[in-house]
Amino acid sequence: MSQQALVASAAGDDPADGLRAVRALRELADRLEALQVERARRLGWSWQDIAGALGVSRQAVHKKHNRRI
Amino acid sequence: MFERFTKDARFAVVGAQEIAIEAHSGQIDSRHLLVALAEEDGPARSALTDSGLDVAELVRQARANINAGDALDPAALAAVGIDLDEVTRRTEATFGEGALARAGRILRGRRKHIPFTRDAKKSLELALREAIRLGSKEIDGGHLLLGLTRAESPARSVLSGAGADIEQVRNLAEGKSAAA
Repeated sequence: MSQQALVASAAGDDPADGLRAVRALRELADRLEALQVERARRLGWSWQDIAGALGVSRQAVHKKHNRRI
Repeated sequence: MFERFTKDARFAVVGAQEIAIEAHSGQIDSRHLLVALAEEDGPARSALTDSGLDVAELVRQARANINAGDALDPAALAAVGIDLDEVTRRTEATFGEGALARAGRILRGRRKHIPFTRDAKKSLELALREAIRLGSKEIDGGHLLLGLTRAESPARSVLSGAGADIEQVRNLAEGKSAAA
């Protein structure tokens, strides 16, 4: 399928395609967030700074990432 | 069990891991093993070829099947205009090789190894049983292919979907391994 046809199908009326795209975007965003937060911590960023950049509360970002990194 | 694996069987297990990394898969299942076997020269690949299958097409379909089950589905992202290959390239430039796959493991609480699914482990156990059944002390790629196709598995479904005659493939694999 060409890129154009794929874009057309996503904008089309099948919810399955649209929902799959949303799921994939969420997974991609989660993975990029994990990598960025890990790197920011290594570079000495505070949880407050990271939370500000992500537009969420300090508690939220700390809870989500502290145990992993 | 792994000390009884021949070189081509070891390559297949390592190859399955590399395929999982490339595909950002969180787990290695029987389909990853199938792709690794089909891409590497050895008894499994020649059994598949001799059965009349277009092996390149089989690999393409198996990889598409793996990607479609993954949360990070390249086709789903392409549908909204995102080129996952390009995202991967740029991400790796900053975070190193395999960064997106590593991030997937961070999210799932596993940092180093990509685990095998129960289905993949079962296929490896069945490969051992096939080797014993055929009186072989070693487990080669042909035995792995027999293990993948002995019971229902995602790999067997992909093979059937690609038009393979499972019984014929099994007979050929048995012949290749017996001759080895």
